[in-house]
Amino acid sequence: MIKGLQRDVEEVPLISLHGVWKVFDGGPVLKGIDFDINPGEIHALLGGNGSGKSTIVKILSGAYQTTAGKIEIEGNTANLSGPSDAHAQGIYMVPQEPHVFPNLSVLENLTIGLSGDPATNAREAARLAHDIGMNVDLALSAGHLTIANQQLVEIVRGLLREANVLVLDEPTSSLTSREVERLAEQMRALSDKGIGILFISHRLSEVLEFADRVSVLRDGNFVLSEPVANLNAEMLVEAMLPAEFNVPEETATPKTHKTTEQPVLEVINLSANVFHNISFEVYPGEILGISGVVGSGRTELAEAVYGIDTQVQDEIRICGVPVEKNSPRSSQQMGLAYVPEDRHKHGVFLSLAAAQNISASMISLPKAKYLGTKKEFSLARSFVERLRIKLASPQQTAGTLSGGNQQKLVLAKMLAPEPRVMILDEPTRGIDARARQDVYRIIRELTSKGVGVVVISSEVAEIAEIADRILIMTRGRLWPLPPQLDSVEQISAATMRAKPPNSSGVLTAEFAS
Amino acid sequence: MKQLLGQIIRSREFLVLVLLALMVLAVSTVNSAVLKPVTLINIINSSLFLMLIATGQMFVILTRGIDVSVGATAGLSAVVFGFALNAGIPLPIAMLTALLTGAAAGAVNAVGIVFGKIPPIIMTLGTLGIYRGLMRMLTGGSWIESIPQSIKSFAVTRFLFLPLMVWAMIGVVILVVVLMRRIKAARFFYAVGDNREGAYLLGIPVRSTEFMAYTLAGLFSGAAAIVFVGQIGFVPMQTGSGQELKAIAAVVLGGVSLMGGVGTVFSAVIGALFLTTVDSMMIFLKIPGSWNDAVAGAVLLIVVVSDYMIRRTVRARQLNARAKEIAISEQTTSNHQTTKVSP
Amino acid sequence: MLAVVLVVELGVLGTINPVFLNYQNLLFSTSDFVPVIIAAIGLTLVIMTGGIDISGVSVMGLSSIVLGLSFVAGAPIGFAVLIALGTGTAAGAFNGTVVARTDINPLVVTLAMLFFYSGVAAGLPTLLDVLGFKAYGAGGFEAYQYEGITGLPDSFIWLGNGMIGPVPMPLVLTILITIAASWLMLFTRFGRFLKLIGVNKDAAIYSGVPVGRTLVRVYAINGFTAAVAGLVLTAYFTSARSDLGSEALLNIITAVVLGGSSIYGGQGSVLGTFLAGLVLGYLRQGLLALGITSNIIPIIVGGLLISSVGFKILSGYLNEKRANQRAYSRERLTVNKSEG
Repeated sequence: MIKGLQRDVEEVPLISLHGVWKVFDGGPVLKGIDFDINPGEIHALLGGNGSGKSTIVKILSGAYQTTAGKIEIEGNTANLSGPSDAHAQGIYMVPQEPHVFPNLSVLENLTIGLSGDPATNAREAARLAHDIGMNVDLALSAGHLTIANQQLVEIVRGLLREANVLVLDEPTSSLTSREVERLAEQMRALSDKGIGILFISHRLSEVLEFADRVSVLRDGNFVLSEPVANLNAEMLVEAMLPAEFNVPEETATPKTHKTTEQPVLEVINLSANVFHNISFEVYPGEILGISGVVGSGRTELAEAVYGIDTQVQDEIRICGVPVEKNSPRSSQQMGLAYVPEDRHKHGVFLSLAAAQNISASMISLPKAKYLGTKKEFSLARSFVERLRIKLASPQQTAGTLSGGNQQKLVLAKMLAPEPRVMILDEPTRGIDARARQDVYRIIRELTSKGVGVVVISSEVAEIAEIADRILIMTRGRLWPLPPQLDSVEQISAATMRAKPPNSSGVLTAEFAS
Repeated sequence: MKQLLGQIIRSREFLVLVLLALMVLAVSTVNSAVLKPVTLINIINSSLFLMLIATGQMFVILTRGIDVSVGATAGLSAVVFGFALNAGIPLPIAMLTALLTGAAAGAVNAVGIVFGKIPPIIMTLGTLGIYRGLMRMLTGGSWIESIPQSIKSFAVTRFLFLPLMVWAMIGVVILVVVLMRRIKAARFFYAVGDNREGAYLLGIPVRSTEFMAYTLAGLFSGAAAIVFVGQIGFVPMQTGSGQELKAIAAVVLGGVSLMGGVGTVFSAVIGALFLTTVDSMMIFLKIPGSWNDAVAGAVLLIVVVSDYMIRRTVRARQLNARAKEIAISEQTTSNHQTTKVSP
Repeated sequence: MLAVVLVVELGVLGTINPVFLNYQNLLFSTSDFVPVIIAAIGLTLVIMTGGIDISGVSVMGLSSIVLGLSFVAGAPIGFAVLIALGTGTAAGAFNGTVVARTDINPLVVTLAMLFFYSGVAAGLPTLLDVLGFKAYGAGGFEAYQYEGITGLPDSFIWLGNGMIGPVPMPLVLTILITIAASWLMLFTRFGRFLKLIGVNKDAAIYSGVPVGRTLVRVYAINGFTAAVAGLVLTAYFTSARSDLGSEALLNIITAVVLGGSSIYGGQGSVLGTFLAGLVLGYLRQGLLALGITSNIIPIIVGGLLISSVGFKILSGYLNEKRANQRAYSRERLTVNKSEG
C-alpha cells in the first residue's frame, strides 16, 4: 500500500533495468547495470566504443535477451522476447541507419506491419507525420527521402505503435547542423507529451544542449548518471576515459621531426564527397594522431588515401613518389599499409587459419611468391612472437580468437609486407586493456624503426597518449590542434563538438577555459 | 495522376514495353504481316505459360530468393492434371488438383528453405530433379495423350476477339494487382526482400512471408500447367523443361531485382511477353529459330548491365547532392559562428 | 569421408550384382559420366570465390559445335581443338569480366550467357551458311544443327574412346585435370586468392588481393574445363553437337556441393568434387545395372543434393548451440563468483 502510494508520488519510470548482465562469446559486456527512463525525459547515453551502449539498445528493443537481471515496464516485470514484443509494450528503437524500404511509398513505410484498419492507420500516420513536421508527400516512394526524413519515418512508426519510449541510436551522426536543430525541436515536443527518449550521441555539445539527464557507460558499468544541469563537457570526458588510463602529467613530449627529411606520406588537397581540401604529411618515425568521431569523414579519408575509393581528386605521394593508379595493392607495394576500422568486415578472414590471415597481404603484392606451408608457418610464428598473439598453433582458425588477437592478426597481415607508413583506423576498438597496451607498444616499435604512423581514433585519450602531433577532423575538414588546448579533456571537447572551429582555429570560450 | 504517369514512364516495365513495341515496328518494316491482329494475339497466347510461371517466380525473387524448380513443378502439375482428366474427373476439380499439386510442390521448397535454412538455389535445384523424376515415374516416361479434347475447346473459344485464356490471364493480372494493393501482408514481400533484418525489427513475420512466396510460385506453376495442357491437348515429357531459367530471365528483364524488394506483376508479364515476342520476330525475319536463345540472352545481359550503369550514376549523383547540401549548410553555420564569436 | 562412401557404395552395389564389381567394368563405365566431373571441377573453383557459373553447360555444346565446324571448314583437327578450347575459355573470361566489373549477381550474368552461348551454338551452323561458307554435306551447315557433325578423325575420337593401358582416355583426362586444379588450389597464390575472396571479398580487397583479375581468370578456367568436357563428350559420341550437356546442370552442381563446397564460397576441394562425381556416376550406373529405370535417378540425385546440404547445416547448428551452451555455463560461474 505504502509502496504503491510512493510510486504515485515519485513517478514510475517508463522502463527500468535492474542488475542486468549480458555475456557474449566468453566476455561480459554489461556487468549488472541499473538504468531507467522516466516519462517526458530526454536521457542521453554516452560511452566509448565497446562500452556496452549498443548492447543496452538491443536489449531494450528486444533483439537481445539478458543473461541475468530484470526488466520492468512501468513498474511491472516484463520480458522482451523480440522486436514485436517490445513494440507491444510501448518501446520503439530508431536504428542508426533508418530501415526505410525505398520501393514502398512513404505512407506504406509508416504503416507497414501495423494491425487494424488501413484507412484509420493511414489517417493517423498522416496526422502524426504532420504534427512532427515531416513535410513530404506521403504517396511518393520513400527512396527519395533525405536521411533526416528517413529518421522521422522511423519516429512516426514508433508513435503509430503508441510507443512511450523512443530509443534514438545516434540519430545525428549523418545529419547537417540545421537538420540536427530541427530534430532537437521534435524531440523536445515529444518529451513534452510525456514520451521518454533515450538519446545516444558521440557529440558532447548535443548531449549537453538537448538532454535532461546524462548517463555515462564505461566497460559495462555506469560511472555517472546526473541531471544535465550539474554537468559540463570536461566532467563527461573525464567519466568516459578508460579506467586504466592515467592522464599523463604532460602530454608526451612531441618528437620534433626533421622537416628536412623526406615525408613518407604526403596528401595534397584531397577532396571527395564527404571531405574537402585535406592536406597533411607524415614524417618517418612520427606518430600523427587524427582525432575525429564517427561521421567526421576520417574513415573515408583513410580509405581514399589507401585507394579503396578511387573517386577522389588529389595528389598523394608515398615516400616522395606520386601515386598514379590508386589501389590497395599499389599502395602496399609503394610502402603504405592500412588497418581498417571495421575488423570483421574488412580486416580478418574469420574462417581461415591464423597463418593464412597473416600471409594474405604479403602474397598479394605484385611479383610475390606463394608461400609453402612451412614458410607460411614460420612467418606466422615470427609475428605471433613479435605481437604476442595468443595462439594454440598457426593453424588455429581466426574466428576462435578474442577481439584483441584478431586485431593483432590484422596488424600482422599489414606489417608483413614491411610498410614505410601505416594508417591505423581505430586500432584499439573493442579490445581489452592488455591488448590495447600491446598495440601501443607495437606502434612505438614501428616508429623507432623509422616507420611513419597515422592513428585515427575517436578516443582522444588514446591519441593524446601516443601521438607526437595531433590533427582534428570534424565534418569533412582537417584542422591543426589549436596550441592552447593541451589537456585530454579540451581536445576531446574540440573533437566531439558538432561544429568545426572557425577558420582562425579559435574555439569558443566554453571549451577553451 | 501526373505523378503516377511520370512514375510509369520512368519505370523499367515501361522501358521494356517501349523496346518491345519498337522491335515489333522495326520488324514490320521488313515483314508487315507482324502487325496483323491475329499475329499479335498468337504471340500473347503463346506467352501465357511463361507469364504465369514468371508471375510465381516474381513473388520469390521479391523476397530475395530464387526458385529454379518452377518448370519442373509445372511439368508435374501437368501430369497430374492429365491423369485427372483421363480419369474422368470434372474439369473444375481437375484444375483444382493441378493448382494444389503446384502449391504443394512450392510448399515443399518452402519447408526446406524457411525451416531447413537450405540455400534456395540448392533446395530448388534438388527439387527440380525430384519433381522431374516424379513426373517421369508417374507416366513411365511416356507422353500422356488421349486427353479428352474438350479441354482444347476452352483454349480455342474466343470472346471479343481474344481467346478465353487471354481473358483469364488479364483477370489474373488484375486480381494480383488488386490483392497486392488491398492485402496489407502483400507489402511484406517487398519489405522482406529489401531489408530482412529491418523487416524483422519492425515486427514483420519474415518466415511466413517467405513460405507464402514459394507456395505462390508453385501455385502459379500449377496454373501454367493448366494453360499448357489446355493449349496443346497432351502432356509431353519435356513440359516445363528449361522454362525455369526463362522465367527468371523474364522477371529480371521486366525489372525485378535479384537483390529483392523491387518489381511488380507487370515486370513478370511484360518480361515474359518480351521473350516470347523475340522468338516470334525471328520467324518473321526468317532467321532460324536456333538463334532465339542467343538474342534472349544478349537482351537480358544488355538490360541488366545498363541497369547497373544507371544505378551507379544515380547513386553517385545522390551522394554528390548530399555532399553539397552538407557543405552549404556548414558554410552558413560557420559564417554565423564567426560573427557571433569575434565581435 | 567421400572415399568411404564410394567404397561402401561400390561394395553394396557389388554384393547385389557381382558383375558390376569387375574392375574393367568399373573403369569403362566412367566414360559415361566423367565429363560431368570435368565441368564440375572448373565450377568448384568458381564456387570457391562465392560466385557461380551456370553457363558451362552451354559452353560444352558451343565448344563441340565450334570444333566440328572448324573441322569441316578445313582446319586440321589439332587446330580445331585449339579453337574450341579457346572459344570456351574466352566465353568464361567474358562472364568473369562482367561479374568483376559490375555488382550484378553472377547467377543472372551466367543465366544470360547460358542462353546466349547455347543460342550461338545452335545458330552457328546456319550463320556459316549465310556467310557463304561451303559445307561438304548436302543440307549445308544447317543440317549439322540437327544431325551433329560426324566423320571426325580417329586421332580425335581416341580422346573419348581410346585407352592408356587399362584406363580409358576420358578418365585419364579427368585425373589430369583434377591434379592440375588441385595444384592450383593448394600450391599457388591464385588458389589462395580464390579462398580469400570467397571467405571475405571486402577483406581481400583491403588486403590488396587483385580481386578483379582473379575473378576473370577463374571464370575463364571454368570456361576451359567446360570446353574440355564438351570435347570429351564429342569424342565419346563421335559426333559434334550443339546441345551437348544441356541436361547436365543438376549433376554438375550436385557433384560440386556433395564434394563439400559451400555455395557461399571459401570452402571446398577439387578432390572432393572428383570423388563426389564418382559416387554419383557409379550410383547411376549401379542402379541402371540393377534394372532400376533411369526415371528415378534425378529423384535420387536431387534428394542427395538437398540432404547433404541439410545435414551440413544441421550439424553446424548443433555444434554452435553446444559451444554457446558451454561458454554460457562457464561465464555464469565467473559471474556468480564475482557477485558472491
